[in-house]
Amino acid sequence: MLSVAGLTRRFGEQLALEDVTFDVVPGRMTGFVGANGAGKTTAMRIILGVLAASAGEVRWNGGPLTQTTRRDFGYMPEERGLYPKMKIRDQLVFFGRLHGLDPDRAAERTDKLLERLGLAERATDVLETLSLGNQQRVQIAAALVHKPIALVLDEPFSGLDPLAVDAMVDLLREEVTPEVPVLFSSHQLDLVERLCDDLIVLARGKVVAAGPVAELAAGPSLTYKLVVDGDAGWLRDVRGIRVRDVAGATALFDVEHDGVAQQVLQQAVTRGPVLEFGPERVALSDVFREATR
Amino acid sequence: MNDRALDRPWMLIAEREIVTKLRDKTFIGSTLVMLVIVMAAVIVPALLAGSGGPDRIAVVDDAGVKVVQQASAIEGGDGYEVTRAADRPAAEQLVTDGDVEGALLPGTDGYVVLGKDRVSSGLESRLREAVVNVGMERNAGAAGLTPTELRAGTKVELELLKPAPLPDVVATFVNIGLALVFYMTALGFGMMIAQSVVQEKESRVVEILAAAVPIRALLWGKVLGNTALALSQIVVIAGASVVGLVATDQLDILKVVAPVAGWFVVFFVLGFVALAGLWAVAGSLATRQEDLGSTTLPGQMILMIPFFFSVFAGSSAKTIASFVPIASSMAMPGRMLTERVPVWQPLVAIVLLLIATVLIVRLGARLYERTLLQTGRRLGYREALAIKPS
Repeated sequence: MLSVAGLTRRFGEQLALEDVTFDVVPGRMTGFVGANGAGKTTAMRIILGVLAASAGEVRWNGGPLTQTTRRDFGYMPEERGLYPKMKIRDQLVFFGRLHGLDPDRAAERTDKLLERLGLAERATDVLETLSLGNQQRVQIAAALVHKPIALVLDEPFSGLDPLAVDAMVDLLREEVTPEVPVLFSSHQLDLVERLCDDLIVLARGKVVAAGPVAELAAGPSLTYKLVVDGDAGWLRDVRGIRVRDVAGATALFDVEHDGVAQQVLQQAVTRGPVLEFGPERVALSDVFREATR
Repeated sequence: MNDRALDRPWMLIAEREIVTKLRDKTFIGSTLVMLVIVMAAVIVPALLAGSGGPDRIAVVDDAGVKVVQQASAIEGGDGYEVTRAADRPAAEQLVTDGDVEGALLPGTDGYVVLGKDRVSSGLESRLREAVVNVGMERNAGAAGLTPTELRAGTKVELELLKPAPLPDVVATFVNIGLALVFYMTALGFGMMIAQSVVQEKESRVVEILAAAVPIRALLWGKVLGNTALALSQIVVIAGASVVGLVATDQLDILKVVAPVAGWFVVFFVLGFVALAGLWAVAGSLATRQEDLGSTTLPGQMILMIPFFFSVFAGSSAKTIASFVPIASSMAMPGRMLTERVPVWQPLVAIVLLLIATVLIVRLGARLYERTLLQTGRRLGYREALAIKPS
């Protein structure tokens, strides 16, 4: 497991991270969200050792993260970068070896990834002659080539069209084995909601919400939606529930537990036809807005 | 999963540096151009001085043969070769066709030296001396004297108080040549190091590199890879000039230069490594290629000033320069060629250079570590020194 504990980073007077603590659990995708300047990139760079922390530490399976372990990590920085004038195959083999693969294994992994990404025919092309989308593919291949033991991806999907995102996600699912913790930052919340198991919300350098996406989205109480044929205003008089909103035939209300909801449903059926009834998920963007307010 | 590259990541960086350069057409091109220039510098003067073999002199009688043999003896060996011509017109023909350097014909009171458009002063004076010798020997017999008696008291001997290993002109030439080789290589490779560092910053690949290996390993890989390349380039060029010297029969120069070659390599490697550290810093201070003009200026000065000093300064200034680190890389090998230098002097210079190299590289590594990941804007050296480690 990858964890950060009490991470703090100052840039001069400015406090970029303040006592940030969270875990990235293996086998689960952890989304890292927050407004621009919230400190996501700073935290990721500290995890990769590119930047030093003013206080706190990065831990790996309970112990301090060493340079040797970190070398087996995969990293896709926010500002993309590979050698523009190097052939993509040579480039990926180089990065594989840089992360400790022997030359044969690096070549084998490179060929497999290029094949998988549909770039096998362009293996001897120089990077800068590729389209931006393809360059992005090579970039993710560079993070995956050495079969990383942990993945840190800073905005991996920015600038990709929906099809390319799907292809990338498929690749990640295929390449990332269950023992690998994955942390990726994004501001595309719909994407995060679709892909992530866990979520860490950062605001002004602090963790403001963290946990499984399902729990965060459900909130502290359960919200139900009821649509009847007629007026739903009578709900306001029902005890044991908190009505969020009633608009004609449609109502949103919170209950303490599921049993109460069933009682409400029974009551509604006796009053007339029920067109729609069920728990209502709160959009992640609402959670995000709520948490970062 | 592990292999030895894990323990020595700098080797991988050095390897990439070397492979990239060897595939770079500009690098290969400039090496070839340098090769051609050096070969030309070695071969052309020899060709101008006359083709390898002895000069041929046309003669028409046995007396002429004797004179030419005498001239060869004065020259010290087989300087001239006799070509027999039937008569004067035949000899003239040989001269105009360029088959012979000149012709020696009997004249009204002695001999006539026949040339096409000119007769080299060396040839003229040798023939003149030979004619006088042969003539005087004959006249001496007539006057009842032996040739030895005739020559008594006319011998002139040359004695040098401070003999130099090489003739003056050649020494100056070789001296400038050695300093120039260091200057050009250090400057050329220096700029390449700075460029390759700033390219990594510009393309942001440095972020991935720094995440995978220690920044010091990046620096060492770059410095050592380029040092190996520079040294091989010099070995190739040196090899070519040796071939050139052998081909043009200038082994005497080789005999003098060879013992200094080992010293030159030591001075070269140490000086180069020290500078390479600085050049890498010049690259890491910049954020774009355009910044290199200003960040590499100190490096250029550190090279240029000692270069002109070691080439053009007077001898006592040169002696001082030959002890000053970096300048010594250019001045000391040159001094060892042109004068007799006691062996302790290069040794002391090497120790000083070694200390300087260690200090410069340590300082360079510190600056490099602090500035490599600063991609915001170009930094100055002063500013970089003030940055606290991040």
